[in-house]
Amino acid sequence: MEAPLKYIFDSIQYLKPEVAVSIFLAILVTVDLVLGKKNKQVLPYIALAGLVITGYFVTQQFGTSAFASVQHNIGNFGLIAVDSFGNYFKLIIILSSIFIVLFSISSIEIKQVFDRHGEYYSLIFGMMLGMMLMVSSADLILIYLSIELVSLSSYVLAGFTKQSLRNSEASLKYIIYGGTASGIMLFGISILYGIMGTTNLYAINTILQNGAFQPLALIISCILIFTGFGFKISAAPFHFWTPDVYEGAPIAITAYLSIASKAAGFALLIRFIKVTFIQTIGEDGYWQLLGVIDWKSFLIMISILTMTLGNFSALWQDNLKRMLAYSSIAHAGYMLLGLAVFSDQGVMAILIYFLIYLFMNLGAFFVVMLIANKIGSEEIDEYDGIAYKTPLLAVSLAVFLISLTGLPPTAGFIAKLYLFIALVDAKMIAVAIIALLNTVVSLYYYIRVLKHMFLTKPKVEGERITIGIADTVVLLAMLIPIFLFGLYFTPIVNFAKNSIALLGF
Amino acid sequence: MLTEFGKIFVFILIAILFVVVALIAAKIIRPARPTHEKLLTYECGENPEGSPWVKFNIRFYVVALIFLIFDVEVVLLIPWALVYQDYGFTGFAVGAIFLLLLGLGMAYEWRKGDLEWDRPHPIPPVLKKSETDSNLKIPKEEIEVV
Amino acid sequence: MTLYDIIFYLFALVTISSAYLVVTVRNIVYSAFSLLFTLFGIAGLYALLGADFVAIVQLIVYVGGILILMIFGVMLTNKITNVQIKTGVFQILPATIGVGIFGGFLLAVLLNTNWLNLNVKDSPATTFQLGQLLMNEWVLPFELLGIVLLIALLGAASIARK
Repeated sequence: MEAPLKYIFDSIQYLKPEVAVSIFLAILVTVDLVLGKKNKQVLPYIALAGLVITGYFVTQQFGTSAFASVQHNIGNFGLIAVDSFGNYFKLIIILSSIFIVLFSISSIEIKQVFDRHGEYYSLIFGMMLGMMLMVSSADLILIYLSIELVSLSSYVLAGFTKQSLRNSEASLKYIIYGGTASGIMLFGISILYGIMGTTNLYAINTILQNGAFQPLALIISCILIFTGFGFKISAAPFHFWTPDVYEGAPIAITAYLSIASKAAGFALLIRFIKVTFIQTIGEDGYWQLLGVIDWKSFLIMISILTMTLGNFSALWQDNLKRMLAYSSIAHAGYMLLGLAVFSDQGVMAILIYFLIYLFMNLGAFFVVMLIANKIGSEEIDEYDGIAYKTPLLAVSLAVFLISLTGLPPTAGFIAKLYLFIALVDAKMIAVAIIALLNTVVSLYYYIRVLKHMFLTKPKVEGERITIGIADTVVLLAMLIPIFLFGLYFTPIVNFAKNSIALLGF
Repeated sequence: MLTEFGKIFVFILIAILFVVVALIAAKIIRPARPTHEKLLTYECGENPEGSPWVKFNIRFYVVALIFLIFDVEVVLLIPWALVYQDYGFTGFAVGAIFLLLLGLGMAYEWRKGDLEWDRPHPIPPVLKKSETDSNLKIPKEEIEVV
Repeated sequence: MTLYDIIFYLFALVTISSAYLVVTVRNIVYSAFSLLFTLFGIAGLYALLGADFVAIVQLIVYVGGILILMIFGVMLTNKITNVQIKTGVFQILPATIGVGIFGGFLLAVLLNTNWLNLNVKDSPATTFQLGQLLMNEWVLPFELLGIVLLIALLGAASIARK
């Protein structure tokens, strides 16, 4: 009888980050229980320590590419693929988690539920573990499990404060949409298993390479599975939950959902499509997909729909959080185009986009949170003349929004530039023009906020809004990269170029 | 083709059919002459007022929720419990980690007071100050008189 | 028609007819009780397919746990007698078209696909085999499930508490 030793200890060296997150999750729960009602200020710092240690393990892993938890009976494919691509996304997830913990320390909303800090940080760690498994899992069962782990944590976190009706509404809507989406995805997985007899993506690829496929069942099952992924990255037409949940959830969690959850969803989608359907990779980096499903037209359609819906709905929003929600839908649309190119260049563009998107989107949410801490609202009308009350915050928000539009000299320009280069290189000119027109539309609603902040006189003369030193440091930590990467972008481009390799391809 | 459990299900199905058939047969055969008195909830005694559907204590829900999660955990432990002896210590360790997580959840519930039922808080009767004053004064005067 | 087929159609009949009741009955409590028979029927189908462990899990977890939770959810609703729960028919045309298209596709998939047959002739008790899989290839998802359940416990308790 084979010892389970083999399955655990063979792969534990590749699973150090995941194990670290799990251990810190247990530590957070235990410390929360031991501390009782007082001394909960220590919890975020334990969380930060855990994040730094996990980040260290991830950086240690760069360059390795191997299967963890190998299934010896099906051609030595494993449940988890450890590769540079996955590690890049894990780093993005950890980086955003660090920012979210820092946000939570200064968020009034989170402070109000001080007695439930233990659950809050434990759930964030649970979500992080799920996302780290999402970006690296190569087996449909593990994909489903990790998506469920992320979803369960985020349902609770979206309605965590329970202070207002819209908070509970966000959680309820999220759970209904999420439950339906994951149910549909599970149905698709079961159909795929029914025709393939395996749940491993690499094994499915081997079967497909041999030409034994049944198009109809395969197409239906992949569309159903895409529903689950599309829900996570809030691509149209699975985006309906996004505005309500983003508006109702605590701002720190909204920011987290818009970056980390979306990054994990994208990594999963890219891995799923590339590993399952690839035939060969050409010399020029273009992927030759198996001709079962026309993924290219499908993704182009979805992404144009997503970005257009996102941008045009954002035009009418009066709530800044809701506007940023629609803008995040639009950004998901741009990034889907990067995948639709089906080349290494396109994936590189997505990687660069995500790293920059992390700073600019988190930054925008952070400023909105700091202002909401003081004025208790995110309505755009309340922002009238706020530049006179707090010049630093207003200017930073302006920079983040300009970067989200994609104007130079901010980093957002570089992100869009590489995406358009990939599109033009693939001779998808028409699509590139549509994306460009969308960017022009987005300029309107981003600039509208600037107009309210700088050009409109405040209705009531309020007192100046000041922020603490710690908050200023966090703000600068996001503001500086926007300019730095906008002008000196070679390092992130090189970093992304070295991280496009998926295990086996 | 039937497994052992399958046979049990057939038994259950037959049992249900038996009851259903018996009830339907009785319904067909028996005379049906309802009167107003017969249809009352209690033929003798007070007639019920209002709806019997009342709001239950929210604690029921929390306990049921916790029960459900532990239910799933126990179900997952059954296959492990059947085989772990064959794998020696590591086999035990695999389940022990799982049980440890389960125990952590249990400790959490315990510490946060989710397992405690809302007890009634009887308020002990307190004498009002003015009453106590007057009560005390009267005996004093009586003592002086005596 | 063998005995096996007859039993299969009996369970299928129980499942589908009670599922129909779940969506058509106007009283939400009756709807929840009809669900009991749906879940029971599905458990029977599992047992017929030789998945005895899954059948028992279906009974223990769904019938014994989730259904109770649903009925509790109904009972806990404030002013339950005054609430008019809408069970009317809305958007009948788009719904019919949508369901029709989706159902048509599923039917086409069902009929045109060579499903893999695993030929479980007389399958032994599956629980033991399941245990061995959980100890070998699937030990990682097994431990992960522990964490998923811990998170579910934390989340459920913190959201249900006042």
